[in-house]
Amino acid sequence: MAEPSAAVRSFDAEALPHLDALYRVALRLTADPTQAEDLVQDTMLKAYRSWRQYRPGTNAKGWLLTILRNTFINDYRRRKIEPIAMDLEAVEPHALFRAVEEVDPEGTFFSRIVDEKVLEAVDALPPEFREVLVLSDVEGMSYAEIAETLELPLGTVKSRLFRARRLLQARLYAYAVEMGYIKPRESRDG
Amino acid sequence: MGERIDCRQATEQLHDYLKREMTPELAEEIRAHLDRCKPCFNHARFEENYLRLLESCGRQRCPGTLRARIVALLQVEAERD
Repeated sequence: MAEPSAAVRSFDAEALPHLDALYRVALRLTADPTQAEDLVQDTMLKAYRSWRQYRPGTNAKGWLLTILRNTFINDYRRRKIEPIAMDLEAVEPHALFRAVEEVDPEGTFFSRIVDEKVLEAVDALPPEFREVLVLSDVEGMSYAEIAETLELPLGTVKSRLFRARRLLQARLYAYAVEMGYIKPRESRDG
Repeated sequence: MGERIDCRQATEQLHDYLKREMTPELAEEIRAHLDRCKPCFNHARFEENYLRLLESCGRQRCPGTLRARIVALLQVEAERD
């Protein structure tokens, strides 16, 4: 076998370490393991072919995620079977904490919810809310990195995140009530 | 000097505070508010547990078969160059 060229070696060194993160984000965007694999593979091939456009030492993860996200929007979104989306109007405007502070002020019920259910709730978020939440709160990217990756203004990232977290909390709360992990709030008088 | 932010302002920015996504000056104001205000302190702890839940979930790794397929495809691409 031929020795790998310098270009391949630098791509391998800079891009391959991000495969786990790319795969996780692809899973959340597609909500389908087979499509997630295809999306990661397409992303890596596209990234390799445009590797000359990447400036060494900049944010390789963000650069790769931009390609992944654009590939998803252009080639996959149409194929995707969207999970039943949350009803945005049904979510109360205030934070969940107000509803549970008397029965579970520390939110211990969160730790009883299994990962699978959390991810199901994430997948049910509308796509534009889901992507910011996954990049921020699951993958730990900064708001600035997310703005750059998604090519959105910072203010948009922040407002979507704010909404996404509340939507997700409302969904997790509903699940916890359903499972009996937490008692529902007494309905108000009248 | 009186407190510069109220409970509503503090709680609306708790996630940004916990993710360290604000200026040091604002973070300091919120920290001072949380020190003084027990309900907001509790609220911060609640949101911290919520964020921790998300950080710890979904730590799936790229399947080995996919990784191997990608490495092989890249090799083919490289040979074509």
